[in-house]
Amino acid sequence: MIEFYPQIKFVHVTAVILSGGLFMLRGVLMLARSHWAQHAALRWLSYAIDTTLLTAALMLVTILHQYPFVHAWLTAKVLLLVVYIALGTLALKRGRTRRVQVICYFAALFVFAFIVTIARAHDPWGILGRLVH
Amino acid sequence: MSTTSRLWIALGCLLGATFAVLLWMGREIHHQAPPLPERVATPGGQVLYTRADIEAGRQVWQSIGGQQLGSIWGHGALIAPDWSADWLHREADELLGMWARRDDGVAWASLDEGRQEVLKARLRKELRTNAFDAGSGTLAVSDDRAIAISNVAAHYESLFGNDPATAKLRATYAMRDGTVDTVEHRRELTAFFFWTAWATVTTRPGAAMSYTSNWPYDPLVGNTPTSSAFLWTVFSVLFMIAGIGLLAWHYAVWHRNEPHLAPPASDPLAGLKITPSMRATAKYFWVVIALFLAQILLGAVTAHYQVEKDFYGMAISDVLPYSLSRSWHTELAVLWIATAWLGTGLYIAPAVSGHEPKFQRLGVNALWCCLLVIVVGAFAGQWFAVMQKLGLANNFWFGHQGWEYVDLGRFWQLFLFVGLVLWLVLMGRALWPALRRKDDLASIVGLLFLSTVAIAAFYAAGLMWGEHTHISVVEYWRWWVVHLWVEGFFEVFAVAVMSFLFVRLGLVRARTATVNVLFATIVFMAGGVLGTFHHLYFAGTTTAVIALGASFSALEVVPLALIGMEAYETWSHGRATPWMARYRWPIMFFLAVSFWNLVGAGLFGFLINTPLALYYMQGLNLTPLHGHTALFGVYGMLGLGLMLFCLRGLRPAVPWNDGRLRGAFWSLNIGLALMALLTLLPLGVLQLSAALEHGYWFARSEHFMDQPIVHLLIWMRMPGDTIFAVGALLFGGFALRLWIAPRASTPAMLPERA
Repeated sequence: MIEFYPQIKFVHVTAVILSGGLFMLRGVLMLARSHWAQHAALRWLSYAIDTTLLTAALMLVTILHQYPFVHAWLTAKVLLLVVYIALGTLALKRGRTRRVQVICYFAALFVFAFIVTIARAHDPWGILGRLVH
Repeated sequence: MSTTSRLWIALGCLLGATFAVLLWMGREIHHQAPPLPERVATPGGQVLYTRADIEAGRQVWQSIGGQQLGSIWGHGALIAPDWSADWLHREADELLGMWARRDDGVAWASLDEGRQEVLKARLRKELRTNAFDAGSGTLAVSDDRAIAISNVAAHYESLFGNDPATAKLRATYAMRDGTVDTVEHRRELTAFFFWTAWATVTTRPGAAMSYTSNWPYDPLVGNTPTSSAFLWTVFSVLFMIAGIGLLAWHYAVWHRNEPHLAPPASDPLAGLKITPSMRATAKYFWVVIALFLAQILLGAVTAHYQVEKDFYGMAISDVLPYSLSRSWHTELAVLWIATAWLGTGLYIAPAVSGHEPKFQRLGVNALWCCLLVIVVGAFAGQWFAVMQKLGLANNFWFGHQGWEYVDLGRFWQLFLFVGLVLWLVLMGRALWPALRRKDDLASIVGLLFLSTVAIAAFYAAGLMWGEHTHISVVEYWRWWVVHLWVEGFFEVFAVAVMSFLFVRLGLVRARTATVNVLFATIVFMAGGVLGTFHHLYFAGTTTAVIALGASFSALEVVPLALIGMEAYETWSHGRATPWMARYRWPIMFFLAVSFWNLVGAGLFGFLINTPLALYYMQGLNLTPLHGHTALFGVYGMLGLGLMLFCLRGLRPAVPWNDGRLRGAFWSLNIGLALMALLTLLPLGVLQLSAALEHGYWFARSEHFMDQPIVHLLIWMRMPGDTIFAVGALLFGGFALRLWIAPRASTPAMLPERA
């Protein structure tokens, strides 16, 4: 499988960009009070991108033999992913007030960006690594 | 004589004739099975193996999971080789290498083409000549062959032990270190593998083919398809086309002028009185969901073993090796589907007759407890067996029998049979008043009851073999259970129960439904009973099995080719009246049953059905392509549809979460389709191509399975499997919310009750 590593990583990174981009777009639509934020086509597109993202992620885990709850940076990514999903759900669907939705949206974007820095640095502290280490 | 009576007589005659042939052929299989030698010896008197070694070796093989790790004669798991094919090719390579080194002084690969052909001809003579003497019970092998056998045996003894030299191969085959516990057991295991390989290549007395009709394909040793495999493939296709033509003609003549029945103004089942025993079936459906989710999780683990030994860094192969996860995955499939059907039967029976027998609820609860004890007890026994902690003496009764789909220990098999008989008794006593009534519904209720009798009774076929019964005979009885259940009585039960529900809903006339169900039963059983033999083409049987199996199993496709008509009728029923919206999702699952019957059972089933096709495809990924799409696609979907139907009655006041059900329905269907189209079909075709080019052994070997493209295709299961699992979770969440914190019942939330 190592033979396909560059391609799988490309798919993974592309899916991350698409997933984040789509979330950002749906958030903007939410802020504009557009019903398109919850349109079925966007939701299904989101499911498709996230399934691809997950598949590529698990393939990379297996190829590199680096696992969550074994390697700290992957553990941090998985835990923050859960936080990101929870914030994203509150932002787009379950937030009871608009204030909660808006706060969760920007918090989710922040967590997303932080996960990206963890992935880039292979360090659980991500962009903060330079300060911590 | 009425049409119904004529159809009953025709069905009786058909079943009488086909089962007579099935039994008679069973006798033939018993007599013609490859012989077990008393000893395998060289001319000098060196005894390599005894019959006791071979029989003990089979016990060892069964104790590690048998057909759940690799396969024998093509029957079994996809990971790890077919041990018969693997042994055969390794033995051939050993002999050729030995002769090249000794006679020519060079390696086999260095010989010129002419010399290689000479040695290949010598090899075929050596391996194909039947040197078994029935009088003395001795199977003679040359000194050269004895050395080759010894070398191949050494490889297997290393592989099934802890030898670091074969550790990488064990990882590829998803085998744990120390798969077989002792040196002696490993030696006995090689005796069994040798014998199964011997039967695949040595010529059957009086015939020009091996005991397994030259299976597996391996041109090096002269194993190529027989002329009868080709002949019966061609004829079977002709029979299928003729059958489709006849059935289409029948539909055209009998079905076009049926006047529509005006549906009742309101749901006849809305006022159904739920009896205590009906209410008690709810727990069956909770168990169904739990088992379904567990099965999916074990399926994920099983599939993952194809790419690495550990599960994302967790060394679970030490406690849950592949053969065990696969055993539980396949058993749970049957168990949750069966539990859904048992629950449905117990729910429907009192509703049919309007009669709640005394102590019925107690019986329903007792049966549920029995099922739990069986699942926990049997699975615990299998864990101890596969971990080699049970010992061979107890394995047959309490451990792992190793026969795919019927691999519970004999004690647990007997217990399950008792459970099925208890189910039958509970069904019978609840249905009895309806069976005694001679109204329009009598025949359809009779068929429903007969299918329950058959489902219970035919599990007893799984008790027909003993610990040392010949493997060909075990296979014969095993397919009685698996095939006659799945492609016989399950079909009858499915058609009868769905027709019955539509009759009770007032959408179909009872007489029309009766005739249709009886006719469908005749059509299914015409191919279904003798179609059993299509699993046995290469299981140490004769050409007659190929002829009967190919001809009749092709007829099984006939009703599936025209299933679109049935699907259209089902769809029409769903739109017959506004109140049918209440049953939208059960109807959608029934439509999925028709779709997957056509695709999974019909198309993917026929893909591997003919003798020539199965000769190359048996045990490749094209087999689970059919298995997943037919078993879940048809019977799983039916189980979920029936469950929804019962849930509608069990929780009549609770509004349904349509969004969750819609998500579940489409996720399950799309997930299954992706699983089939992204992995199983392309991987199966790649394997087929490899088998055709190099021989069957290669398509199952580590050389093939370790290719990057194979790993990539296996990974492509991930999207489909994830979507499928999400569907199952949504379904489970939907069902649980009917009991736990159910939605408030307000008129605005009940549009379906218009």
